[in-house]
Amino acid sequence: MHPFILMALSLPSWENEQPFLVTGLALGGVYALSGVGMIVLYRTTGVLNLSFGAVGAFGALIAWQLINHSGMNQWLAYLVCILVAGLLTLAYGMVFGRALAGRDPLVKTTATLGLTLILLGVMDLLWTSNGGASRSITLPTDNHGFMIGQVQVSTTDVIGLAVGIVITIVTTLFLRYSKLGTAMRAMANDREITATLGVPVRRVEAVAWFGCGIISGVAGILLADLVALDATTLTFLVISSLAAALIARLSSIVITFVAAIVIGVVDAGLTPFMSLTNYRDMTPFVFAAAALLVLNRKQVLSMARQEF
Amino acid sequence: MSTTHLVPRLRLGLVLLAAVALVALAGCGSSSSSSSSSSSAPSSASTSSSSAATSVSTSSCGSKPGVKATGTPINIGTIDTHQPGTDFTDGPNMINAYFTCVNANGGVNGHPLKLFVQLDQSQPAQVAAAAKQLIQSDHVVAIDGVFDLLECTIDESYWKQLGIYEMDAGIAPGCWAAPTSAAVNMGPRYSSDGAVQYALASEHAKKIVFVQSNVPGTGYIAAGPAAVAKASNVPITELTENVPITDASSIALNLVDDAGSNGSVVLNFTPPEALVILQAAQKLGLEDRVKSWGCSTPCDTDFLAKALGPKWNKKLFVNAEAVDADDHNGPEIQLYKAILAKYGSSVAGGVGSFSQFGFLLAKFLDQALDKVKGPYTIKSVNAAIVGIKDYKSEQLCQPWTYGKLPLHIPNNSDYTVTPDNGKMITTQGCTEISNADPQIAQYRSVAKAHGVTLG
Repeated sequence: MHPFILMALSLPSWENEQPFLVTGLALGGVYALSGVGMIVLYRTTGVLNLSFGAVGAFGALIAWQLINHSGMNQWLAYLVCILVAGLLTLAYGMVFGRALAGRDPLVKTTATLGLTLILLGVMDLLWTSNGGASRSITLPTDNHGFMIGQVQVSTTDVIGLAVGIVITIVTTLFLRYSKLGTAMRAMANDREITATLGVPVRRVEAVAWFGCGIISGVAGILLADLVALDATTLTFLVISSLAAALIARLSSIVITFVAAIVIGVVDAGLTPFMSLTNYRDMTPFVFAAAALLVLNRKQVLSMARQEF
Repeated sequence: MSTTHLVPRLRLGLVLLAAVALVALAGCGSSSSSSSSSSSAPSSASTSSSSAATSVSTSSCGSKPGVKATGTPINIGTIDTHQPGTDFTDGPNMINAYFTCVNANGGVNGHPLKLFVQLDQSQPAQVAAAAKQLIQSDHVVAIDGVFDLLECTIDESYWKQLGIYEMDAGIAPGCWAAPTSAAVNMGPRYSSDGAVQYALASEHAKKIVFVQSNVPGTGYIAAGPAAVAKASNVPITELTENVPITDASSIALNLVDDAGSNGSVVLNFTPPEALVILQAAQKLGLEDRVKSWGCSTPCDTDFLAKALGPKWNKKLFVNAEAVDADDHNGPEIQLYKAILAKYGSSVAGGVGSFSQFGFLLAKFLDQALDKVKGPYTIKSVNAAIVGIKDYKSEQLCQPWTYGKLPLHIPNNSDYTVTPDNGKMITTQGCTEISNADPQIAQYRSVAKAHGVTLG
């Protein structure tokens, strides 16, 4: 489009738009990572884990605490973050997941909101913003990067996207070809029949809960660096991942990945559009609502959980 | 297959989306508040230990050193925001520390000072009820040390009706525009004015991009910087961003693109939100792509200076409404640090502008109460408060006066600080906020007519 027309319409040039697409790709990668973690757990246990973001935030704040107040090596602290997130999610799954196993999926999902709110309260208590306190996690990879044309790309951006891709591929292969993955898929179809076939369903569920927690810990660290180390922000970033998962009808890992990338890129890409910039936070909602309506119109939503 | 798994996915999806959106809105609500707080609240200037100042005796805070006040207490009330993401309790906690010091050293003519604190979560009805409780149940005779997002606006008519003149470290526009309120701080508008003024005068910016959180009241704040830039014939772009910020990299890119290499970016956010934008700019190598970066007072915190690192030394210029306590060591600052060390264990932020303003509010009230003759009633105490004239403090650029004026902006001269290897240091001394802001001009005109000392 002619530059004059672009200016008249307050549209950014393609050159100006490119850096926003890069940041969107990195964010989209982490949203995808979160979305995949949520879907694996949902397909295995029927629980859509809305505490995903809060658990990641909790782990990231613990890492920050260990680095800044205990002098711990930062890589070790990040490992602790991931483990804490994994164990916390596992503990919830073992206590409440079992107790609610026979309940409606909506009840199971709503219960995870309880964990979210408890964690939010605890984080606000332990890491108050009193006195202008502001915290941040800066990964060493932030200081390295390269230029693509005029666009600065940090290694963390690359890691964000790469981890999303790797988790998507590995999870897909794991579910398709490994014994444990096959058991998870079987449970996705029917937990009771799977149990009668001798599959240790509780152990399989435990692995799913722990794996979901581990992914939330990884996402927590990456998002704390890419977005902000703030309990509220990280907790509710799960919305973008949830939207991607809903677009994928809570079943397809690949579609979740693609949807998350699109949401991340569109969200960031709208920033230089003056007339739209303040509405870009609606991106995940708009995509999810549109997808649900379109899918419903085409009658492609099924009543039961499907295969991966 | 269990029947529990037969819930139509569409319904589940829509219900979940709605549920999460509602919870998110609740979360964002607090964040928004937090950001307006940030935009206006005083910030921590330092987290350094206050132990450095303990060489000064705290006994000078009272008229009878070492003598405990045993008379009938003088009840003082305050209303402060305390909610997730926005905790202003360092202010009243510092006032309590000061009062404890006064009470341990003779009190006010033998009367101890007692502070009644009402905390709120930014609900107007709650704030109004808190005011009534302070008056009707706690029988306070003065309102001092209000650090609140809404209070000045909500309770203005009630205070007027009772003849109460409150002293605060304000947030809401009413804190500066009402006859019954006077603040020791400048608030978001005038502090942003100061940051823009510095970018224009000292950095010679050819364009200003002013950005703040997208919360109610931003138009009022933005009007100040717009007027200051216009007076210098420099174009200004005013932007708002939703908080909490989730894509700081995009925001930083947008700001830099808009400002250009000869422009300056000025932020008006809470420290956490400002930090994520500045860090994102650093990660993208944008810190040198504009003439300078500026920020209103909330950025005046060593938390931020430490997190940003040396790349921002003399690149980021922050408006400061009070003297940097790390940079200054006069008798008053020493007393402030000594009181903080001895009585301020509950002041979580330690040395910083929240506690500095708490100290000033307590000190000014103490001085005013000393002048009351006869019983301490609402009438006598508030007559003394509104009569405050030319109270000097080494922390403020100019003497502080209340007076029966239609509006009060007694702190209208500021400092500028910049990060220096993990600390904020003063880069510009006292500078008057420009008369280009019509409200500043109006105050100065009114104040001059009433014989108030300016500058």
